[in-house]
Amino acid sequence: MSLIHVQELKKHFNVLNRREGIGGAFRDLFSGDYRTVEAVAGISFDIEAGEVVGYIGPNGAGKSTTIKMMTGILKPSGGVLQVNGSVPYDNRIRQAQIMGVVFGQRTQLWWDLPVIESFKILKEIYKVDQKTFDKHMNMFNELVGLNALYSQQVRTLSLGQRMLCDIAASFLHNPQVVFLDEPTIGLDISVKAKIRSLIKTLNEERKTTIILTTHDLGDVEALCHRIIIIDKGKTLYDGDIKRVTALFGAYRTLKLQIDPFDESTLEALREKLTTHFGAENSFTIAQTEEFWTDVTFDQAHTPLSDVLGVVMSNFKVSDVRIVEIAMEDVVQRVYDGALR
Amino acid sequence: MKSYLAVLRGSFMIGLIYRYGFLFNIAGNIIYMLVTYYLWKSIYQGREVLRGLTFDQTYIYVALGSAVFILLKTYVDWLLSFDIREGMIASYLIKPIDLQFYILFNSFGYSLMSLAAITLPTLILMIFVLHIEIPLGIGLALFPLSLLLAYLVSFCFDYFVGLLCFYTESIWGLSITKEIIVTVLSGALIPLQFFPDTIQKILFWLPFQAIYYTPLTMVAQPNLSMDTFLPMLGLQLFWVIVLFVFTRLFYNQAIKVLRISGG
Repeated sequence: MSLIHVQELKKHFNVLNRREGIGGAFRDLFSGDYRTVEAVAGISFDIEAGEVVGYIGPNGAGKSTTIKMMTGILKPSGGVLQVNGSVPYDNRIRQAQIMGVVFGQRTQLWWDLPVIESFKILKEIYKVDQKTFDKHMNMFNELVGLNALYSQQVRTLSLGQRMLCDIAASFLHNPQVVFLDEPTIGLDISVKAKIRSLIKTLNEERKTTIILTTHDLGDVEALCHRIIIIDKGKTLYDGDIKRVTALFGAYRTLKLQIDPFDESTLEALREKLTTHFGAENSFTIAQTEEFWTDVTFDQAHTPLSDVLGVVMSNFKVSDVRIVEIAMEDVVQRVYDGALR
Repeated sequence: MKSYLAVLRGSFMIGLIYRYGFLFNIAGNIIYMLVTYYLWKSIYQGREVLRGLTFDQTYIYVALGSAVFILLKTYVDWLLSFDIREGMIASYLIKPIDLQFYILFNSFGYSLMSLAAITLPTLILMIFVLHIEIPLGIGLALFPLSLLLAYLVSFCFDYFVGLLCFYTESIWGLSITKEIIVTVLSGALIPLQFFPDTIQKILFWLPFQAIYYTPLTMVAQPNLSMDTFLPMLGLQLFWVIVLFVFTRLFYNQAIKVLRISGG
C-alpha cells in the first residue's frame, strides 16, 4: 500500500460570473449565474514512503488545489484520495498529526511572537515530547543556524529566514509526509541553495516523504527523483526526473533585442537559422515581451556560440541575454509530445 | 487541552507585546466613565430610585458594562473573516487542532490581558476615585462564573458572524449590524429595566441579555436572592450549549464551500 493514493481526483469550484462596471456589480447582487471551474480534473498517482516528488505545472494548473486536498483543507469533488490509508478531509485533525505543510506565500508561525515561541506552541499542538523537541531544535540549529533567530519576531524576519523557520517548523513533529508549496518563491540564489540543502538533509535523515511544488526547475533538479507535471487539472507526465532533465537541461533560451524590428523579422530569423542548421534542429522563436525575441533550442545539438554567431552576423542585435528554459516552455514541450 | 493552553499563552504574550494599545484603551475608558457618571447624575437629579435602581446601582452597572464591553470585544469576527478572505485559515487547518477551540483560547489570551489592564483599573477607579460603593453579596461571588458564561455566548455570536465570511466573502455590514443589535438588546448601554415592559419580556427569551445584563446585574444588585440568580445562570448555560452546538454544526457546513485562491 502506497503512502499517498490518488485516483481520478477531482475538484471544481462554483464561481460567480461577475459583470463589468458599477451597473454590472449591482446586477451581480442578484445574479445566480455561476460557472463551474475545474481546478483538478481527474488526477491519479501513487507516492511511496520516502520519495521526493516534484509536483510542477504553470500557474493555475491545479497544484495548490491538489495539495490542499491532500492536507485535508479542501474536500474533493470526486475520486479517491488516501494518505496513509485514510481520507484527509474526513479525519483532518488526526491526519494533520502525520503531515507537515509549508505554504510559501503564507507563514504558519505566529506573526507577532518571537520565533522560539512559535516553536514552543507547535510543540504543544503536535504533542512533541521535550527530548524529541530538543533533539530537533539542535538539528535545525546545526543545519541553518536557527538559534540566531530565536528571539526575533517572525514579522521582522527576512523572507528567506522566515522560510527556513517555516520549513524547520513543518518537520518539528517528525511527520511522515511534508508538503512544500513553493518554498523558494521570491528568494535569491544563495537562500535557495540553503533551503534545498535543508530539505535534502531532512529527507535523507528522516526518510520523510516530500511533495514539492515549485516554479523553479532548479529546485526540482536538485531535490526530486520523480516528477509529476500537470496542466489544466490533468497529468501530463509522471515519471523519472532524468527524462525531463534531459529535456530541459540542455535547452537554453536566447533573448535578443533586434534593432530594427518589424513583422518580418521573426520569419527572417527562422529562415536564417533553418538554412544554417538544417530543418531537423528545431528552434522555437517567439516574441514574449516587448523588444525581446526569444530563441529556444537544444544546446546538445546546436552549440550556443554557433547560434549566436549566425544571429549576430545577420541581424543588428543591441542586447543579448541567455536564460535557462522556463517552466511554461517545458510544459509546452511535453504537450508537443517531447516525452512520448 | 495543553495545546490550547499554549495557544492562550501565545496570544497573552502578543497582548503584552502590543501593550501600548491598552494604554489608549484605559484612557478612553476613563473618559467614558466620567461622561456616563455625569450623564446619569443628571438623569437621577433629585430622585433616589428610578425603575427600581438607585444611582449607585445604575452607575456600577453602566461603568462595569463598559469594562466588560472591552473584555468581550475580542474582534473574533473580524480576525476570522480576514483569515478566511486572505486564505490564512489554511495555516490553522493544517494543524491538529479544532478551529473553534483554537480561536476561543486565542481570544482568551487577549481577554486575560485586557482583564488585567482595563477591567481591574476600572474597578479601582470606581471605588477609590468616584467613591462608588460596590455592595457585597452572593451576586458578587457568582459574577466571575456569570462573566465566563457571558464570554462564551458573546464568543459564539462573533464566531458565527466570522464564519459567515465563507459565504459572503466580507462581513463588514454584518459585523456592524451584529454589534448594534447586541449592544442595545443585551443591556450593555442601559440596564434592561429602563426598557418598556413588553420589550423586557421579549428580551428575556433571547440570548442577548445573557451577555451583559446577567453578569452586570449580579454586581449591581448582589443582594437579590439565590432563587433569582440560579435561573439566570441556568439560562446563560443553556445559551452557551445551544450556541456552541449551533456554531459547530454551522462550521461543518460552511467549511465545505471554502475556496483558497492564489497559491
